[in-house]
Amino acid sequence: MDKPIKKINFVYLLCTIFIPLMLVSLGLTIGYFFFHDGGTGAVICFLAPPVLAFVWWCFGGRLLYKNSCKKMARELDERGFRRNQTFESGGAMVTVDLNRGELGLVFFWNPFEHYVLPAKRIQRAWVDDGAAGGGFLRGSSRVSFLFQVDGVKIRVDTFTSNKRWRMDSDYILTGISKADVMVEVLEQAKQRSA
Amino acid sequence: MGLFRKMRAILHDDWCSQCQSEMDVVRKQLYALPTQRVGQYREQDDPAYYKKNLVPVEKKAQIPTGMYACGMHVYRCPQCAHRAVKLTVFLPVRDQEKTEQLLYFEDGEMDDFIWR
Repeated sequence: MDKPIKKINFVYLLCTIFIPLMLVSLGLTIGYFFFHDGGTGAVICFLAPPVLAFVWWCFGGRLLYKNSCKKMARELDERGFRRNQTFESGGAMVTVDLNRGELGLVFFWNPFEHYVLPAKRIQRAWVDDGAAGGGFLRGSSRVSFLFQVDGVKIRVDTFTSNKRWRMDSDYILTGISKADVMVEVLEQAKQRSA
Repeated sequence: MGLFRKMRAILHDDWCSQCQSEMDVVRKQLYALPTQRVGQYREQDDPAYYKKNLVPVEKKAQIPTGMYACGMHVYRCPQCAHRAVKLTVFLPVRDQEKTEQLLYFEDGEMDDFIWR
């Protein structure tokens, strides 16, 4: 219950990046030295590892993270944790039991562990609307809610985009509203946990 | 001119669709819509849905964060006595509003709800 929060499992992060790269290198090396004259072996060695690596980088991490979220939800249900409010973003999933004043956490870069902790460990929670620029250029490309647990700052995005949107755009307003809801829920859980 | 006025009436929600006169607002009310939450909005066109789920509130501050709201305007035409109801479904976000749906009921669908 009191284990420190680890947002990133660096072994997993490095494996995610470098194991596919090593497989690709191995395939290319084997293909070059053993199937120099071409043929089926060369095709497999040159084509399969890069394709697999690409598939892994595109879908592998996400699949692991999704499964981890589902697994945590199942385990929480089994132990009677009532998921009053859940928010799942690309980087983390937060679920809150308002009655018990507890929250559950899973991180994209640490999918093998999940955390269930009393909400009284939340030091503060706030919304970052990402607003930048002035005048008619004022806008945002990311809205998130943040909370600090034992000094660790956790950011969960409610809206992200590769372009900047006006602050009164529907996307930004929806993101702000979702973030406001989550901050309110976290504050409520913290009060009930104390 | 007639065609122009009809087009204005389509675009101008407070213009009568029968005689194209400007209608009077006879009633305004704000409602909370507890069945619709941010991120889970589903469009609804059925007046029965609104009659069942609208909860009257006095001001926007009474609507919990993330809950949708609905503004109702009841219009009456001073020329031909035609009545219309406009429902604006929106998400209140701090001091702004994200409008989700505009609905017009011109055949008395909401009458039993408004004048009950």
